[in-house]
Amino acid sequence: MTHPVISLKGISKYFGTVAANRDIRLEVHSGRIHALLGENGAGKSTLMSILAGRYQPDNGTIEIHGNEVRFSSPAQALDHGIGMVYQRFMLIESMTVGENLLLAVQKKIDKRDASKLIRETAEQYGLAVDPEKYIYELSMGERQRVEIIKLLLLDAKVLIFDEPTAVLTPVEIDSFFAVLKKLRSDNKAIIFITHKLEEVLALADDISIMRKGRVIISTEADRKQISKRQLARLMVGRDVVLKVNKQEVALGRPVLRLNNFCGEDAFGGTSFHDISFEVRRGEIFSIIGVAGNGQSGLVSAITGLTKGVSGTVEFKENTYSAQEWARASKKDIAYVPEDRYHTGCVGAMSIAENFALTQLDSYSSGVAGLVLDRGKMSMDGARAIEEFNIKAESYDDAAQSLSGGNLQKVILSRELSREPKLFIAEQPTQGLDIGSTEDIWQSLLECRSKAAVLLITGDLREVLSLSDRIGVIFNGRLLDIIDARDADQVGRVGLLMAGVES
Amino acid sequence: MIHLQKRREPLKYGGLGAAVIAAVIAFLTGSIIFGFLGVNPLSAYGVMFKGVFGSFHSFSEVLVKATPLTFTGLAVAVAATMMLWNIGAEGQLVWGGIFAAGTALYVFPGVPAMVLIPAVICAAAVGGMFWALIPGVLKARFNVNEILTTLLLNYVAIIYMEHLFYGPWRDPAGFGFPGTAQLPEAAHLFRFLGTRIHLGFPLALLAAVCLYYLLTKSTWGYQVRVIGNEQRAARYAGFNVTGKTLSVMALSGALAGIAGMAEVCGIHYRLQTGLAVGYGYDGIIVAWLAGLNPLLVPLTAALLGALFVGGEQLQTVLGLPSTISLILEAALLFGLFAGQAMIQYTLVFEGGKTGEIEPLPLKGGD
Repeated sequence: MTHPVISLKGISKYFGTVAANRDIRLEVHSGRIHALLGENGAGKSTLMSILAGRYQPDNGTIEIHGNEVRFSSPAQALDHGIGMVYQRFMLIESMTVGENLLLAVQKKIDKRDASKLIRETAEQYGLAVDPEKYIYELSMGERQRVEIIKLLLLDAKVLIFDEPTAVLTPVEIDSFFAVLKKLRSDNKAIIFITHKLEEVLALADDISIMRKGRVIISTEADRKQISKRQLARLMVGRDVVLKVNKQEVALGRPVLRLNNFCGEDAFGGTSFHDISFEVRRGEIFSIIGVAGNGQSGLVSAITGLTKGVSGTVEFKENTYSAQEWARASKKDIAYVPEDRYHTGCVGAMSIAENFALTQLDSYSSGVAGLVLDRGKMSMDGARAIEEFNIKAESYDDAAQSLSGGNLQKVILSRELSREPKLFIAEQPTQGLDIGSTEDIWQSLLECRSKAAVLLITGDLREVLSLSDRIGVIFNGRLLDIIDARDADQVGRVGLLMAGVES
Repeated sequence: MIHLQKRREPLKYGGLGAAVIAAVIAFLTGSIIFGFLGVNPLSAYGVMFKGVFGSFHSFSEVLVKATPLTFTGLAVAVAATMMLWNIGAEGQLVWGGIFAAGTALYVFPGVPAMVLIPAVICAAAVGGMFWALIPGVLKARFNVNEILTTLLLNYVAIIYMEHLFYGPWRDPAGFGFPGTAQLPEAAHLFRFLGTRIHLGFPLALLAAVCLYYLLTKSTWGYQVRVIGNEQRAARYAGFNVTGKTLSVMALSGALAGIAGMAEVCGIHYRLQTGLAVGYGYDGIIVAWLAGLNPLLVPLTAALLGALFVGGEQLQTVLGLPSTISLILEAALLFGLFAGQAMIQYTLVFEGGKTGEIEPLPLKGGD
């Protein structure tokens, strides 16, 4: 093999006492796609942020073509030809594509040449995007293309992608892969961070796997030799066979039924149309879809945070119009929201105090319920820590001091303690480690015997492990509802998520 | 090159550290100013210290100043707990004064103190509440930025008060001086130990304790704290944010209004110029120095009061402008913010060549 374009030698990075990266060696070659695999928290993003100049390493050196370099800003890394496309795009939404690109390259490229250059670059790599359009009008896939064009205009030789496919639809993923291959044939070095094993096997020339801040293996990909299972084992250090103990539960009455429910997304996302389904006690009904297909608007309308536009909602034998439903009592509905850090809890408050968040009535006493029952809050907080095996010193710990998994357990235990008739969980295990994921899955399955469970997720694994029935949402519509026991039909879920109906 | 980098965890005992940093910065800033004025800083501070602690009487003046400052500090603190910026305590204080004076002079002029004192307190609370609810309703109903409305309404309140005591409420026997007639004796707040410390002072302490309990031990306070900390969580929990905006602004205005009553019925005994001397704005500093903790508000109010009393001594003894105390006050606040930044961030020294500034690391990620 040729000399590496980049070599990282002995890179370490500490945040306080936590080592995010420890003594990392890594070589990246031109004309090759390098996949960086690892679980959440393995240190991938930190390592790449160091390479892209956003963080400075505490130890170790970065070499480009054998010469040591130091960056104190992303701009300096770009001067050396290293650019990164972050998970959250660095684009200004209220400006057009062309303006965004000009903003990024104005120091290096004359304004008059820019539009010609933009067009040429876009055409050369098949990155179709209209320079006149505003960023907020673009899909995630198009925004990503703008980011790539930006790096190419800046003459980046090394392109880093942080979980590039997380926000893309399957169709967009295919065209993104085509772009990557084009870049590779153009002798660019590409690094992409992922935890999707299929992508690694499909694309990568080199694979590095990180675990707990270290690169544990860095190898050329030999697609015949390496299997998904092996990769997974290397990634997590044990076999990832997620075991769930799914017992049969007798199906009860329908708790929630939506009829032709339509509504907007409060934040300007995809609206949803003609949604009809029911959830019965004793089952987990899942709605799966790629993020941004209307599910967030649907959930906020079901939970009453926003108003639906038309259709009816039946809940516990009562029928409500879309408008009435927004005001109806949601006392019997528990809800674990997607954003556990800023919506599901108040970070600065203690575990005990967070326990009262959605059930303040059960923690009030005295005249007009004005007195806060701190004793009960502490008791319930302590019991949740015990029962759900939450890693915390005491119920007085601030919620923000907990890890994602432990925080989610606090929220989950709170919502379960409300003894709901309908339990709604939105992306309950997103970003959690395997241990916490298993615990939360188990709780959801147990909850099924006392309530109807509505699960909204984009995680196919999760849906297949837990659901009794699966509704697939695409572009704001429920394309089909599939019985999870029907093995032939379940295979269609992935296609439906991509909008392929046949 | 120096970078600011966020600490993974805030410093331990950071609050104390920030207070020390604030004090040191204020001390140094004052020293420089004194130096410019050609006075030995140590002797200037000596004069201030002696002016405050020199005698029982001088110290009692600190508590006299701390009384309205505690009320306005609490007013700002309760609003800020919900992330509402009540910059209008000054105007609410003025309206409290107007209502108190009006009640004593025109509504219940002849009644005994047992009735009149509670009446003026309630009237002042209502007056302040009324003035605070204007921005409160605008905020709750139309999401109008309360920083602007509360601030601008201060000027309206002050001008209206001046209209009253220059015009319809002017004392006919006042030899043309602007001001209302003196309030009846029954409306004068009881004074302690031959000083100017009046009933308002224990009331202020009581208000601080009550507010502390209300915020930490009541379901109302719980909701206010949740809304202040995390709006999205409050919406998720189904809290009535509109209602809390109104009730918090009402309480905030009532507290500021009582400060106006304390000044009118405890010190001036009439409505006149000198009521709106900035206690409402100082309340902002009092509240933030106390970290919005109601129990600490009386302490920081006393600290500011001491600065003012000491500043007056500078004027009488050394002939320096008493406004130096305002500079010290500002330095204290800047010092506090600097100190708080040091709890959250750390400085990283590095030998870079360019002037590029490292962006602060974003939260999250792995």
